[in-house]
Amino acid sequence: MSRASSASTLAFVIASALSVAPIGCAREIPLKVQAAQAADLVPQDTVLQDTSHKEPPRMVPPEVYMRTYLTLFGGLSPLDAQKKARGGDGGNVFDSWNDYIASLGFPDYHVDIPRQMQTNALMVATFERLGVALCDRAVEHDLKSKIPVPVASRVIFAFDVPKGSTLPEPEFLPRYDVLHRTFLGYPARLGPDGRSRRFYALYTEIVKDQASALKAGQKLRFAPEEEGWAAVCYALVRHPEFHLY
Amino acid sequence: MNKRATRVLLTCMCLSALLALSLTREAESAPPPAPAPTKAAPAREKTLDDYRHFRIATIDLTGRMPTREELAAFESPEFDYDAFVRAHLIGPGYSERLTRIYMDLLRLEPNVNFATTPAQLLRHEIIGPDGKPEWIYYREGQRRAREEVDGEFCLSPAETGVPIRPRMRTNEADSKKPVPKKALEDATVLVKPWWLYKDYDAQAPERRYQATWNDADPEYRPVEALVTGVDGKPVIHVRVCREEAQETENGHILTTGKTKQPPKLPGSRVRPLVLDSGYAQKHKGEPVACASKLALTSAADCGCGKGLARCVPGDSDQNGPAAFYFPNHTPLGPQEPIDSARQQAQRWFPHWWAREALAFLEDLFGEDRDFREILTGRHTFVNGPLAQFYGSVQRGNCCGPETGFGMTEEGEPLFDPHKVPADLRPHDTGTWRLVPDRGPHAAGILTMPMFLEKYASARARGALLYNAFLCKSFVADSSAQLTPSTEPNLMKRPGCSTCHATLEPLAAYFARVEPGSFVFLPQTLFPVQNAVCKKDKNGKMNGSCTALYDPAFADNTGATLRSAYGSPAHADATPAGAAHEIAESPEFASCAVERVTSSFLGRQTTPDDAPMLAELTQDFKKHGYKMRVLVAEIMRSPQYRRSNNLSGDAWRGGTDGGAGAPKGPPPVENVHGGSMGGAH
Repeated sequence: MSRASSASTLAFVIASALSVAPIGCAREIPLKVQAAQAADLVPQDTVLQDTSHKEPPRMVPPEVYMRTYLTLFGGLSPLDAQKKARGGDGGNVFDSWNDYIASLGFPDYHVDIPRQMQTNALMVATFERLGVALCDRAVEHDLKSKIPVPVASRVIFAFDVPKGSTLPEPEFLPRYDVLHRTFLGYPARLGPDGRSRRFYALYTEIVKDQASALKAGQKLRFAPEEEGWAAVCYALVRHPEFHLY
Repeated sequence: MNKRATRVLLTCMCLSALLALSLTREAESAPPPAPAPTKAAPAREKTLDDYRHFRIATIDLTGRMPTREELAAFESPEFDYDAFVRAHLIGPGYSERLTRIYMDLLRLEPNVNFATTPAQLLRHEIIGPDGKPEWIYYREGQRRAREEVDGEFCLSPAETGVPIRPRMRTNEADSKKPVPKKALEDATVLVKPWWLYKDYDAQAPERRYQATWNDADPEYRPVEALVTGVDGKPVIHVRVCREEAQETENGHILTTGKTKQPPKLPGSRVRPLVLDSGYAQKHKGEPVACASKLALTSAADCGCGKGLARCVPGDSDQNGPAAFYFPNHTPLGPQEPIDSARQQAQRWFPHWWAREALAFLEDLFGEDRDFREILTGRHTFVNGPLAQFYGSVQRGNCCGPETGFGMTEEGEPLFDPHKVPADLRPHDTGTWRLVPDRGPHAAGILTMPMFLEKYASARARGALLYNAFLCKSFVADSSAQLTPSTEPNLMKRPGCSTCHATLEPLAAYFARVEPGSFVFLPQTLFPVQNAVCKKDKNGKMNGSCTALYDPAFADNTGATLRSAYGSPAHADATPAGAAHEIAESPEFASCAVERVTSSFLGRQTTPDDAPMLAELTQDFKKHGYKMRVLVAEIMRSPQYRRSNNLSGDAWRGGTDGGAGAPKGPPPVENVHGGSMGGAH
């Protein structure tokens, strides 16, 4: 609409409004205050107010994240873990710690950059990349090793994974509990309602999809049941409860 | 679903979870759960909050999340929280945790290069008598008896075919020529240097790096160009200009008798001659310490010492010659680097300054020393490179304008070179020794090169003290309408005085430590009010005075030492005086308690915390400012247990309507995407 036409429309609206509006002010209604007998106020109810300080969980310091990550990797040094995480894939799975330390929120005292106290999109993406690297390498180490690794020596998947089948829920749950404890620090039974069920659904769906892909002739790095456990691992290692405390 | 699709889906899930989490942070929660007994009752089953509390404590004390084994121990009926805390208050995770609090405040890592000219050996490639390239090490500005090369490279342009000087880029290929054998032998010698030989100070060094010296400290890694010759073979010895290779401790002031440039420069010399300075004329032939800056510019009989141990090599004579490999980043501490980079020689000592500060802090917390020692402690820790630095290199940092006041070498250095352990060699990077007393002016971190270079001005140093150790900030007075002022005294100047009335007296404590440096100006030679530096009839001060005394606080009777006008008494009290004043002030203990408490609670303290902080402060002082007692008390407090007290149920969205749950419908959880209410 042009400026001229909008001005004429506005004038019309104002004129119309004036034509229907009552002229002058409304009649004053006198206030009447009725006298009452003086008395104490009667308490109607008691409300307890909690004034104590409330804080949501905070971000795990990047030092703690990295040290935990290295512990989960089998207690390796950062450079050894980097070498292992890169494996034969170069930078496809893991670049280098130098590429991640800023996005993980580490301070850089050299140039006075303070530590990050809150997550951001880049940090979440870094958590994902590092998490996927950890889980993939753990599957290779724990489940795909040419010489089977005893359960006690497994870094993440400290349970047996039967080959070629989808586990029924009762057999899935104790294994899931191991991962739940590993990453979130408490038993799965204390998690919110339905969490275990949803993780089982995720696991079965991934195993099913991967089995179909395998049947269709697709080349897979991991067996379907290993993919299922890797997906559970991905979800837990990037879980907000893992990154907060 | 393929793997990539699964990853994308899971990413969306995580992002959604974080979003939902941020929303639930706003939610109010019901009253906090009652503090649980510190020793878990065997009969009671552990709750989610018990697990959360244990996870927080483990993170705080070990620097990582609990392992499955630690969780199993926690679930045992015999688990004793107090014993757990006690056991972990002596571990490396604990000292690292506390060090992190103060490193976040002080940020004691370098972004500076440090190269004293007397200590820096440069390297240039010439063509040897046999027509093959050869490297020669030299120092910039080295005085030499031969007039043609005095203050220059030790071979003349006529001998090499080109003029050679630092940072000069010329196309040398066409004009370079083989140096005559006699000229080369006259001007240079072969040396087995410290960076190649473990036993460089022996009569005949034999233990060569990567040959018979195979147990070098892992952190000692010279760049390849220092250990491999121009011919690609291992270096057995290096060729050094003859003057640089001299080993004596003391030399003599050289005079040439020339005070004016001659009409024609001698030989093939292309730059003007080095003329006799006024100082040299006055002190002709007098002894001078070869480690001092004066020796380089005034003595032809001073060099780098036995095995060149007073100098640091560089692999070129261009800008930033490389010398050693060391990490750029050590986010988990020096023992766990994440890289190893080829570094400039000028970064070698700053790297170790930072390590000194870190070692000092880790010892302070690890050994549970009196926390006041962070400012007042006269001890420190040094390794080989630091011993080399404090023993000789730092002496070359002085003296320039100070010579005009009679100080040719530091008389009262902040770190007395005589206190350096004699058995440490420059390449002993992994051997750290306690130095119980650096000297009378030492004051905790305040007199360490890392602090003094990071906070280069007296005001920056004072402001940091005020903020980090008294928990106070400077807030400018914005209410006053300002008018232009020529008042040099910032304690009086309108608009400045609100901050500077406090800051200038604090800064004055550092007036005797030169800005951007760590040269100490003793009271005997540099009185706060110095009549020598009075203004002349033209209102000017002489050059040396201008460098060290403040023209804004000078008149025809004298001048005031720079940064000292805020409090001459504080200037004479030196940084050690600042350390004692700050450490004894009532705010010091409360500030330390507040910082540590806030860090462990994971939030800023509030007025509600005042009673707790008061009690902790009282106990902190009562127990001799020991951090271990403080941390143990914090970790046993109900406030710590309730920290981040939006419980798991609450921040998840309260599906069970538990104590911490906000009211309202539970959010939808969907592991396959969409809102998850903070959880999968």
